[in-house]
Amino acid sequence: MSITLDQVTKRYQGSPVVNDVSLEVGEGEFFVLLGPSGSGKSTLLRAIAGLTGVDHGRVALHGNDVTHVSARHRGVGFVFQNYALFRHMTVGENIEFALRVRRMRTEDRRQRRKELLRLVALEGMDDRLPTQLSGGQQQRVAVARALAHKPEVLLLDEPFGALDAKIREELRRTIRQVQRELKITTVLVTHDQEEAFALADRIGVMNLGRLLESGRPDELYDRPATRFVATFLGAANLLLAKQTEQGIRFGATPVNARRIEKLEGGREHEVVAVLRPEEIELAPTRDNLRTNYIATGVVEELVFTGALERIRVRMTSGPSDAHIGSNSHVDGHNTAAILDVTRTQHEQRVFPVVFGQSVAIGVRRIHVLPTPLSSYTVCAAETAAAERLSQHPFLIELAGRMKTRIAKRIDPALATCQGNAQTRISGVAVIAAQVKVAKQVEWLLWNGAAEVMVLPSQAVSPQRVLIHWADDAARRSTLAVAASLLRHVPAEAVYVGILPESRGGEGQRPLGVRTLLDARSEAQAVHGLEMRTELRFGAAAEELQRQLNEQVDQMLILGISDLSQLSREFAPLFAAPAAYSMMIVYRPARESDEQAASA
Amino acid sequence: MNGTFRTPSILPGFGLTLGFSTFFLSAIVLIPLAALVTKTATMGWDDLVRVLTEPRAVASYKLSFGAALLAATLNSVFGFIIAWTLTRYEFPGRKLIDALIDMPFALPTAVSGIALTAVFAENGWIGQYLAPYGIKVAYTWIGIVVALTLIGLPFVVRSVQPALMEVQRDLEDAAETLGAARFTVFRRIILPTVAPAIATGFTMAFARAVGEYGSVIFIAGNLPMKTEITPLLIVIKLEQFDYAGAAALGFAMLVLSFVMLLSINLLQTWGRRRQVVAGR
Repeated sequence: MSITLDQVTKRYQGSPVVNDVSLEVGEGEFFVLLGPSGSGKSTLLRAIAGLTGVDHGRVALHGNDVTHVSARHRGVGFVFQNYALFRHMTVGENIEFALRVRRMRTEDRRQRRKELLRLVALEGMDDRLPTQLSGGQQQRVAVARALAHKPEVLLLDEPFGALDAKIREELRRTIRQVQRELKITTVLVTHDQEEAFALADRIGVMNLGRLLESGRPDELYDRPATRFVATFLGAANLLLAKQTEQGIRFGATPVNARRIEKLEGGREHEVVAVLRPEEIELAPTRDNLRTNYIATGVVEELVFTGALERIRVRMTSGPSDAHIGSNSHVDGHNTAAILDVTRTQHEQRVFPVVFGQSVAIGVRRIHVLPTPLSSYTVCAAETAAAERLSQHPFLIELAGRMKTRIAKRIDPALATCQGNAQTRISGVAVIAAQVKVAKQVEWLLWNGAAEVMVLPSQAVSPQRVLIHWADDAARRSTLAVAASLLRHVPAEAVYVGILPESRGGEGQRPLGVRTLLDARSEAQAVHGLEMRTELRFGAAAEELQRQLNEQVDQMLILGISDLSQLSREFAPLFAAPAAYSMMIVYRPARESDEQAASA
Repeated sequence: MNGTFRTPSILPGFGLTLGFSTFFLSAIVLIPLAALVTKTATMGWDDLVRVLTEPRAVASYKLSFGAALLAATLNSVFGFIIAWTLTRYEFPGRKLIDALIDMPFALPTAVSGIALTAVFAENGWIGQYLAPYGIKVAYTWIGIVVALTLIGLPFVVRSVQPALMEVQRDLEDAAETLGAARFTVFRRIILPTVAPAIATGFTMAFARAVGEYGSVIFIAGNLPMKTEITPLLIVIKLEQFDYAGAAALGFAMLVLSFVMLLSINLLQTWGRRRQVVAGR
């Protein structure tokens, strides 16, 4: 591996800008780090170059640990957004700078300079001053300069940021060409997905300091694992759907699309479906559709953009309440069920549509996100309390970041926690922290909720999230929930493994450590979640409570596989209204699942 | 040529502002200087040469310009270091030091002269420690240099500070990734970038030092041929009602200053051009 990052963390004023990023870039690979501004991508690049130190983790270049090696000795080439050319030197001197500080002989320097100027197509510009060149030419000089000392790794930080579209494309081609010619391992940072697609062998998408996913551009586009990647890489319609044994269902409409990836999982549950605008088909009636019908709609907006036609269709039937895309309002009532559709010239000719026309909507391909957190439902016994809780800043922040909605559910039965709910609860149930919270959690989980979030009124976005599960049966689902949540919260993830003190105490340590390491590698391999691990001894509930009370701004994710565990093992956590937020994850083990179904 | 129609400038008010500038400069700068030249012209040629080449006058030129040059040089070095500290580091009291830099601007020069004399006199706070080593500051040329350094310091700091702030960190980072050591980065990247600002600061500090009178007369001791600066000599001539002689000395200073400032400017331009050519 050319570049290896191992759990790299960089904090700025206490909060992580780069959060536990592990990454490997292969020899000669062109890797693009993609993310919005403030996602930590530039900081990560600077950490690779050695221009920024790391607070935790390891950086290795070609197998050599360079974490504590200065930028000067790492032998990387770095290209800056604003070129950073030495303005008091000519183009030639700029390029020769690295050779000059290495005391290379004059003739060799001349030779290398000529080669490099040819490489970036700037022959004969040796004696110009940088200020006499255009932006595009200056950046070419910067690339040539960065390559002068034959670095093994080339790092580019938004190199096209300051250029206009035409030059940008030209320079993009030059850089790709140079990279292919020299077969140099390259990492480029950008916020432009088009640029990433055009250049990358592999893309890594960053948000909130975390590396969310990495993979080949087409893989990431077709099968994103997270909503962020789904919506950041191109346009996407996100819809809530039900995953059943038979397949996918939008509202009452079952979709028999052949190209739906099968998800494992027993009972019916809510999932997030990604519909790319170009995978949606429009037809005059349901019978004219050649693909799977999902709904009918009305054309709301029509924009001609040359090659493609962009249409927005408001869904009038079918899963009109299912929409959670970026167009919808998060408050829950007013989900404008609008689908973005793009059509080619050919499709336009086959079925021309006009503004206000009714159409049948079909879909060629649906991708289901493997995330267990689909939507939030605020649950309360009375309207005022639900209203109050749905305005909780942390909840709004979370839902906004996850691009999902907050629904409200008023259920008087919640006050007494007796009997069954009128309808099964789907998604994450959210309740306020209070004295009787344990009973409520139990009731909600019994009535279909897969996760319950308990929010104290003063809770803020956590700095540290503790993860714990009661037994091994809950491990997998707890990790999945933790990974999904932590992609949207800039916090440190810590798995707390707790061994009972009575049984052998210290003698248990090796076993405990192995459990921790297993958990960590599973989180990393299956869910892409980087987490720390801590091993404690004692009673689980007390130990967790002690840690949670140690500092503010913490959150607990607790996994159980049996409802009785809550009152049996974790009662102390619910004894008093907590100051920290909690997410309880419940996935019944097989037998109890069947019992629940028959009950 | 279609010179009959004036091309209207995009910015209005050119005539007005030019007129005002000319008037203002004339009233404040050119007319007094012209008066100086006319007064000098009342002397005969022989008298002029005699006054200007008096040993006492020559010694005062040497002292005035020599001390001013030395002070400006010292200021360039220390002023740069101070500007560097203030722009590059964040430390408690930074704002206070930043404000202190301007003090010599505001302080009446006589006050700083008296204060320096008190401190550097043989029994003063600092002077008493220097005396055993045979170093006398007050009432020698060293004292004059100290006084001139004090009043010239803000010029260098204030002209270098913005230039240093403008040196992008990216430039240093770039040099570092290219393999340059700390000192190389400083010498090859930072210094050339701020050199013009240092030169400007130097010129201003020098010009100010040549003309300085108030602070120097207290610390200099004013011994003829030894610690007598030209401005003082002019005042002495005035007190003896030798107006023509005073004007002549003033004229000589004017010419010398002008020549020196001009040559510094030319040197700067030449340096800039040399940098451009040096790439060949």
